[in-house]
Amino acid sequence: MAKTRIDFMGKKKYFFALSGALVAISIAALLIRGLTFGIDFQGGTTMTLSGAEGVTTEDVRAALEEAGVPDTSNATIQPTDDGGFIVRTAESDTARAQEAFSAVSEMLGLPPQDANVTTIGPGWGDNVTEASLVALAVSIVAILIYISLRFEYKMSLTAVLALLHDTTIVLGVYAISGREVTPNTIAAVLTILGYSLYDTIVVFHRIRENATGLTKMSFMEMTNESINQVLMRWVNTGLIQVIPVFALFFFGGETLRDFAFAMAMGLLAAAYSTIGLASPLYAVWKEREPKFQALKRKYAAHAAK
Amino acid sequence: MKLKPTNAWALIALALLLAVSVWSFWPVEEKITQGLDIKGGLSVTLTASPLGAGELTEETMSRVETILIERVNGFGVSEASVQRQGQRSFLVQLPGVQNAQDALRLLGEPGKLEFVDLTSVTDTATLDLIAQQLEAEYSGEETTLPQLDPEGYEPFMTGEVVTDARVTTDEYGNLAVSISMSGEGADVWGDVTTRLSATRGQVLIALDGRAKSAPAVQTPILDGDTLITGSFTVDEAKGLAAILQSGAMPAEVAIDESRLVGPTLGKESLDQGLLAGLVGLALVAAFMVAYYRGLGLVSIVALVAYALLMLGSLGILSRMNAFALTLPGIAGLILSIGVAVDTSILIFERLKEEIEAGRTHRSAAKSAVRHAIGTSIDADIVTLVSAIALYALAIGPVRGFAFTLILGIAIDLVAALLFTGPIVRMLAEGTMSKAPAFWGVKGGDTRG
Repeated sequence: MAKTRIDFMGKKKYFFALSGALVAISIAALLIRGLTFGIDFQGGTTMTLSGAEGVTTEDVRAALEEAGVPDTSNATIQPTDDGGFIVRTAESDTARAQEAFSAVSEMLGLPPQDANVTTIGPGWGDNVTEASLVALAVSIVAILIYISLRFEYKMSLTAVLALLHDTTIVLGVYAISGREVTPNTIAAVLTILGYSLYDTIVVFHRIRENATGLTKMSFMEMTNESINQVLMRWVNTGLIQVIPVFALFFFGGETLRDFAFAMAMGLLAAAYSTIGLASPLYAVWKEREPKFQALKRKYAAHAAK
Repeated sequence: MKLKPTNAWALIALALLLAVSVWSFWPVEEKITQGLDIKGGLSVTLTASPLGAGELTEETMSRVETILIERVNGFGVSEASVQRQGQRSFLVQLPGVQNAQDALRLLGEPGKLEFVDLTSVTDTATLDLIAQQLEAEYSGEETTLPQLDPEGYEPFMTGEVVTDARVTTDEYGNLAVSISMSGEGADVWGDVTTRLSATRGQVLIALDGRAKSAPAVQTPILDGDTLITGSFTVDEAKGLAAILQSGAMPAEVAIDESRLVGPTLGKESLDQGLLAGLVGLALVAAFMVAYYRGLGLVSIVALVAYALLMLGSLGILSRMNAFALTLPGIAGLILSIGVAVDTSILIFERLKEEIEAGRTHRSAAKSAVRHAIGTSIDADIVTLVSAIALYALAIGPVRGFAFTLILGIAIDLVAALLFTGPIVRMLAEGTMSKAPAFWGVKGGDTRG
């Protein structure tokens, strides 16, 4: 197997431009289009009814009206593949929603053990978001401290920057595609933190190993060399992480699909940002140190070849 | 293939762990607790907010928790649970609950504590119910007690007057529950106790329309400071104190979300999750063998060991009531396949690299295992830090996910240290150089 020698660092300007553009587009999309929040953020009730043979959408609507559900004309009743229905109403009082559900399933003669009823109060989405933001802030601070102690603060800041880059892009994809944001999406976005860092740390580990006693090349070249050394590792671990996510997306059912989509976007962004953002940014920063400036000047001619 | 003592010990330790694991998770349906989204039932998230301009202190939160537990116990559902989530939420889980309306109504209510003069109850049906309920409460039976007829009794005061209630001891050192009251309450209480003490009359304490206790009045109590004595167990005393405090529910508690899952649909989701897991495993295994050949087989064995250890840990945690498998938890398990195989890839790539650099198989294996596990530990710790923050602070589905991820990372390291590392070192002793193509490494220097 021939050693790969791809000049990643030479293309760092393009990477930075690409990252900048992706982040700018994401932020613009978030500001202009905004995110579409699912029922979990607006409050409301979703009933999944099944085993409803011979029941029509009109029957369900009539039963809802009969059960005293307010504003039934705005309720959505969506038939499912297996002869059931997904009913969404604006009811956000849990007890009233359960009552309506009991009445409806009785009227339509549906077995209650084949149903799901989810009611979300108006404050739930805010609470999830608030708790998630606290978790996000605490984990970022903890990560900054750990990487600063174990490696150095320049690595910790670039790693966290890559992380914010990844999460912004995932949210941007949601804004552009108009996909519904659910608590599962938020869970996935938070989980991407871990994956994004795993990748970055593997490369940083090698950079640090090669940086000790560095005299034969500039820091930038060494970074490039390090990436090439761990390239197959990067490709294969990336693939191995993505495969289960795709399995989850295609076979995992409705609840998990949502989660898998956000994870897949996040993994792609995380894999890219390790090589395209975290590593070159770190190298650029390190080359400003006097020790590495000298190396850079020394090998400038070599690099210009 | 020579067996070095360290490698041998590692493999023996692994074999023991695997045996314990299989014992602790098999059969799966019995040994691993299923979450409500799989086995069906009602799960409710409640969020506390401060009353008025006050702040939510840790003490307030634990009082709210005690009160919620007291209420949930009143439903008489087995395996019901109340868990803290994040900083100010609680997850209440009621497996198998069919009548969700009543449960929701009771959980969400501010809580009504009433004091009733037992002699003022004239309705005999209500009196019978009270006697029956008190007996059941005292004998500790877990039954759902019927509500008292609201028309059948008239409280002389409500729980708002209670400013504090705690477990203490009386002058003989027996457990007792002390109550303090506001000035207004103490006045009413003084009148009633003065009247009742002459006949040793009983005061009925009812929570949310259910009789909870009926102490007899011994002496007139004029300052409100009351001591309820009796042969309490610690739990009973705590429970009564919680009931008395619930009159002054220290925070506003609102239902944020409720999910009623029918058992059939939950089973369907579980099957889909398992299918996704198997497909993911098969594809990952196929990729590893295609790319790493013989070493790929090693990683598959490592993956199987990882899976067994994981299930074993879940079995043990289920037994300790510390775990229930939810759908996000299944997603976490499936994604942790990636984490588990990553460590193998780190070792194999480093091994190939060192062999290509001209080292002998043996020294390459030694160095590869050491470096790769070092890298893996650093990357794992960082991932772990964020997963722990998520588990401790977030609410909603992310917690089940974070939990399996934390466990996955820890078990991955165990599997790498006890299996993949030793086995790669052992294979490098000579087996690899006999068939370098099969093991996916270069012939390199075969002097061993």
